[in-house]
Amino acid sequence: MYIGDFKEAYASDQAVFVNTTSRFWLGVLFVLLLIFPFVAGDYFLFMANLAGIAIIGAVGLNILTGFAGQISLGHAAFIGVGGYTAAILATRFNLPFLLCLPLSGFMAAFFGIIVGGPSLRLKGLYLCIATLAAQLILEFVFVHWESVTGGIRGINVSSPEIFGFVLDNDFKFYFLTLVMVIICVTAARNLFRTRVGRAFIAIRDRDISAELMGINLMQYKLYAFGISSFFAGISGCLWVNFLKTVTPEHFPLMESVRYLAMIIVGGMGSILGSIFGAIFMTIVPEMIKTILGLLVNIFPTAMSFLFPLQQVIFGLLIVGFLIFEPHGLAEIWYRIKNYFHLWPFDH
Amino acid sequence: MKKSIVLTMALFLSLLLSTGGVSFAEDVIKIGAGQPITGRFAFAGKHIHAGLMDSLGYANEQGGVDGKKFKYIYEDTGYDLKRAIASFKKLMAKDSPVMMYGESTGVGKAMAPEINSRYHVVYGSTSFSEELSDRSKNPYIFVSGPTYAQQFGVLLKYIANQPKKNNKPHRVAFFYSDTEFGRDPIPFARKLAKKLGIEVVAEEVTKVGAVDITSQLLDLKRNKPDYCIFQGYVVPPIPEVIRGAKDFGLDITFMGTFWAMSKMLLGKLGPDAEGYMGVSPYSYWYMDDVPMIQAMHAYTKKHHPDVEYRPNSYMQGWFTGMIYVKLAKMCHEAGLAITGENLKNMIPKIKDWDTGGLNGVVSFDKSNATGTGKVYKAENGKFVAVSDWINLDE
Repeated sequence: MYIGDFKEAYASDQAVFVNTTSRFWLGVLFVLLLIFPFVAGDYFLFMANLAGIAIIGAVGLNILTGFAGQISLGHAAFIGVGGYTAAILATRFNLPFLLCLPLSGFMAAFFGIIVGGPSLRLKGLYLCIATLAAQLILEFVFVHWESVTGGIRGINVSSPEIFGFVLDNDFKFYFLTLVMVIICVTAARNLFRTRVGRAFIAIRDRDISAELMGINLMQYKLYAFGISSFFAGISGCLWVNFLKTVTPEHFPLMESVRYLAMIIVGGMGSILGSIFGAIFMTIVPEMIKTILGLLVNIFPTAMSFLFPLQQVIFGLLIVGFLIFEPHGLAEIWYRIKNYFHLWPFDH
Repeated sequence: MKKSIVLTMALFLSLLLSTGGVSFAEDVIKIGAGQPITGRFAFAGKHIHAGLMDSLGYANEQGGVDGKKFKYIYEDTGYDLKRAIASFKKLMAKDSPVMMYGESTGVGKAMAPEINSRYHVVYGSTSFSEELSDRSKNPYIFVSGPTYAQQFGVLLKYIANQPKKNNKPHRVAFFYSDTEFGRDPIPFARKLAKKLGIEVVAEEVTKVGAVDITSQLLDLKRNKPDYCIFQGYVVPPIPEVIRGAKDFGLDITFMGTFWAMSKMLLGKLGPDAEGYMGVSPYSYWYMDDVPMIQAMHAYTKKHHPDVEYRPNSYMQGWFTGMIYVKLAKMCHEAGLAITGENLKNMIPKIKDWDTGGLNGVVSFDKSNATGTGKVYKAENGKFVAVSDWINLDE
């Protein structure tokens, strides 16, 4: 009978999957994720793709903000850089999707590192404003560098092709998103078992102490910006190939704020939290809409009153979560998990 | 604990029921719509929604198409790209309508590849974008009126026909917002102005809802245009510009396109509205000598007795509904099944169609837009027609 975890070495303390049970449930989840597209309709697949793309972006932002403690209001712009890079490489240079994908990531990382430059001097709110400037500048560039970005009309791209498979619908794209989410989440999770990841956490907790421990602040802060933006770039590339079009309107400041909301609601400094947050911010508004839609069918005259209520309910939900669970959805999950950890013999 | 489980289960079940649902084979023509009833665009979205719904209701009262009634199914999108696409897919999966309505140019662009390759539904939207009306690329998508470029064209054509001051070419300024909505018609307008012998003396670009327009005003003062055409604004900064120009003592006739031709704008302008001009593809609610407006009055009186005014966005919804009905009737008359594919093939065949005065006599033969508009001038807080229907294709 299972009564607890007995760790004999540091390695087991650092393990991603603590025991067989967690491996088993992860396996179950994976199988369910594989079955999902075969039972779900177009709408659910679309939502799943959206959530997947958001997860990659949110994980990226969480690395920077949640783990390394550098606030960024420019995340949407980095996603945009990735998106535009993918679109330009695919349409102008006819590069295959599998090459566009990492290149979008690297291009976004390059811009991320440039924007991260001031982070050595600036902290907190000041850094926040510096990244806000980056967001505004990049947005301006998307709109006005017409010869490259196509200006306000943007760029239309064709469906991505991988080894001869054309991913031209939500069903096929789902598998790409799933694979990318798994790769990105695994990479992010493992990042924090390395020197680089631990350095990020040290910088977040107290940068002076981190420096005393021999961490080169500049180097690691720029790493954080670079890695975070790389994830953003990947997310942007997927987004553009998913929608098959890119315009500057896809990456407004509000989108950056939405990503910040995702990691705050999900849980700062938690990879799992990024996943929960991204799913929450994508799916819950739709659920509220569906429920209110039902009510509107019953009371058609209440439409003008019920529809605007969506935003209010969604806002209240976020506030509620933050008040009752400031550590985010991830913390709720840990509590539930701990409850069942030794269930039914938890005494 | 138990209570919450029951509650969650109930919630889940209701969700499942709402999204899955059992569909019955009905003899109706389904029209789906993702309407921006909330969000930034709600000021127009809720009226477009009402107009489209009423237009289809009116068609049903007239007997539908050979006894087949129209069924209007809609969702709120909140003027959000992702939610709008989700709504589109949800409606298609759940109800498989043959015609769809959606918000914004962005959604149309994002959905266009899939509309062409998978969904095969006729698609109308709030957008007057030129790109969407390009039949060779988007055969399923139409614009419910003239595109912004065509609206500019109507205005420029009107200006070209006005008597010249001191026998010199007309001087025109373009004043637009730095958005797709603002920039869409500008390249076309530049070319057409050149062709018509109109001099474009200034182009002022601002952010949407810009407050400080001093530098633009000074530029207008320097270049002395006779006409200034706004594009890409709904209200601000139009009142500020018009008042500022008045303060500078400039003699400029200000003009707008569809979204800047609302009663709301005239209300904001107050006494400065006198003489404001612009192009609209539709007739206004108070023009009760127009047959289709009379039909609207009667329908509104019967079904919404408390409503006193319908803005021009309502007309857009109503006219879109008329196009849907027209396409369905054409399919029926040709003895074809009412499918997205057949409906699409009917769009170019709409020729010299009398819209009961709502949009003049229109044709979709050259592009998936009508190209027809009328020039109006504000007098005593109302728009009065100063031209007949002008068709740009002619």
